[in-house]
Amino acid sequence: MNLLASWLGNVPDFAIPYALAALGLILTERSGVLALHAEGLMLVGALFGIGAQLALGNAGLALLAAMGAAALVSLLFAVMVIWLRINQVIAGLTLVFFCQGLTGLLGTLWGWTNQPVSGLPALALWPLSDLPLVGRLFQQNLLVYLTPLIFFAVIAWLERTTPGLRLRAVGENPQAADAAGLSVAGYRLLAILAGAALVGLAGGYIAVLSTKLWIAEMTGGRGWIAVALVIFARWSPWRALAGALLFGCIEALIPQLAAAGVRLSQYFILMAPYAVTLGVMIWVALAGRDRLSQPGALGEAYVREERR
Amino acid sequence: MLEPLSAPLAEVASPRPRQPLFSRRYTLEIRQQLAWPWQALILGLALLLGLGLSAAILVLAGVPAGELLNEFVVATLFDAQSLQATLFQAAPVILVGLAGCLAFRARFWNLGLEGQMIWGALGATAVSLFEIGPEALRLPLMLVAALLGGLLWALAPLLLKLRLGVNEIIASLMLNYIAANFLLHLVFGPWKDPRDAFPYSPLFRSFERLPELLPGLSLAVPLALLVAVLAWWFVALSRAGLYLRFVDANPRVAGAVGVPVRATILATVLASGALAGLAGFVVAAGQEGRLTQSFYQGYGFSGILIAFLARNNPLAAAVVAFLVATLFVAGRNLQVFYQIPFAMVQLIQALIVICVASSDFFIRHRLRRSQGGAA
Repeated sequence: MNLLASWLGNVPDFAIPYALAALGLILTERSGVLALHAEGLMLVGALFGIGAQLALGNAGLALLAAMGAAALVSLLFAVMVIWLRINQVIAGLTLVFFCQGLTGLLGTLWGWTNQPVSGLPALALWPLSDLPLVGRLFQQNLLVYLTPLIFFAVIAWLERTTPGLRLRAVGENPQAADAAGLSVAGYRLLAILAGAALVGLAGGYIAVLSTKLWIAEMTGGRGWIAVALVIFARWSPWRALAGALLFGCIEALIPQLAAAGVRLSQYFILMAPYAVTLGVMIWVALAGRDRLSQPGALGEAYVREERR
Repeated sequence: MLEPLSAPLAEVASPRPRQPLFSRRYTLEIRQQLAWPWQALILGLALLLGLGLSAAILVLAGVPAGELLNEFVVATLFDAQSLQATLFQAAPVILVGLAGCLAFRARFWNLGLEGQMIWGALGATAVSLFEIGPEALRLPLMLVAALLGGLLWALAPLLLKLRLGVNEIIASLMLNYIAANFLLHLVFGPWKDPRDAFPYSPLFRSFERLPELLPGLSLAVPLALLVAVLAWWFVALSRAGLYLRFVDANPRVAGAVGVPVRATILATVLASGALAGLAGFVVAAGQEGRLTQSFYQGYGFSGILIAFLARNNPLAAAVVAFLVATLFVAGRNLQVFYQIPFAMVQLIQALIVICVASSDFFIRHRLRRSQGGAA
């Protein structure tokens, strides 16, 4: 019983980064830009979140810094895929490697490694927080409560407003959008920057609010899992949130299993998120619907001079 | 041809005032082709830019500017001992580079090079640990086990892609993490050297390690070069290589004219996995002499980078791999002498790839000032 309650209480810490990163990636990919760079941007968000927290001592500002830093680095990605028309797979992978190198270097040079920070205090939502079993779900930091609002805002913008419609049009058929007078490059830039800010926030969550310190490569493949989540969710934000919760539940089990004294090598337990991701990818492929729902122009550079 | 006639006419028709600099309109045009000296010049400039940026970052990170050339060129190539170290380092890097080339030729994004390296090293270590086969055959058996280990670990994402259309980038990356955790399980658990407290396997016996061909030159280096030539033969001269070019150009047409598309992709990607496994064997049996917990780190990215920079040509990959090995050795020196983390090596590689990838834009496009107002 106690184990169950503490397991539930830990779910948001694992689920929220997945949810925010997947939301950011969906925003970017709906504009037709294949976003494989999540792992790198999360690292940038994590490092600069910790750096800002150490320098300014304010977790809110630290999260803003995480968003800003990730958006800034994603400008490089935007230049590569929008204007220089580099293959989006190569650009995304290179950006991940670039960010891994950059954060590994800066984290050590600036002495931000292994410096604990305070994070955000838990806010108890009384009376929900006094409920048995699920009470700990309502003793979370502010960002956990804000995440559903962020989802509402982004989804409303994407699906209920004209700019959101235009962004999706650019992702489905850039030729038609261009002919209709929309700026393909402009909308894609917007989508990349806004998406990167959300992915950076996810990285900031992991470092500033969850582990509360910076270690090189600390995201451990969560960015890639977020990419898989987007495929799993078929580019729908609500399904991504559900998928993130599922992954959060599974990952929150890991420390619980250890505490419950399961006699299995910890490394097998640590494999679980990756194995589950693989399983989910296979399940999606067997269901065979992922190709239908992906944005029409995903992964294609838009080149006006090459009319098709 | 029409220009001498039309230009004066246009002048008469629209006497256009000289535009200020920033309101001029430019259009991008796609070049049909560019003479190769220009291509080489653009590529060279991009490389210079990448190296310049890297040098600037190194200086900012605390390496004295005057020492850069010394650390990177003199200290790695012009000193017999460091040249040995560089060659020694080059062998596994060449092998992962070749693995990258093969996979990309089959249009398979094999990001699982590190996982395949791990399984190669695991295979070789298992042969040593369980003393399979007589002493004389032990090393060849370890080599075969390494090839098989890498091959099998590449088989999973390959089958998932061919059968189900699962994205191989995610699948092979997830398998990397799984392999890495399994490696940790072994070196901290059942395969740990009982003699001390560190997470590694027992040392290989002397006949289980790659011998030196000449004093200071490990057998690994000629082995890697031999594999490079074989890979070049495979993609450039063999029948499979011809099929591969068909498949790369257009899989559907290739299938229609009778090329065994699946078999070609299967063989090439499995070869890629096997070579990555071989790289794991070379690190374990050549450099470390045992299974260690993080021997594979940095190789996966380098393999992809080398294949990209060498445009998937195995012989060019060997050359690029040698340069990357120089960077590895220099990176370790910087770590020792200036406390600069090894991540610097990855940053430099990424910067160079970004610059070279960007240079392609200038090879394929040109900027032209638009004539008239209707651009």
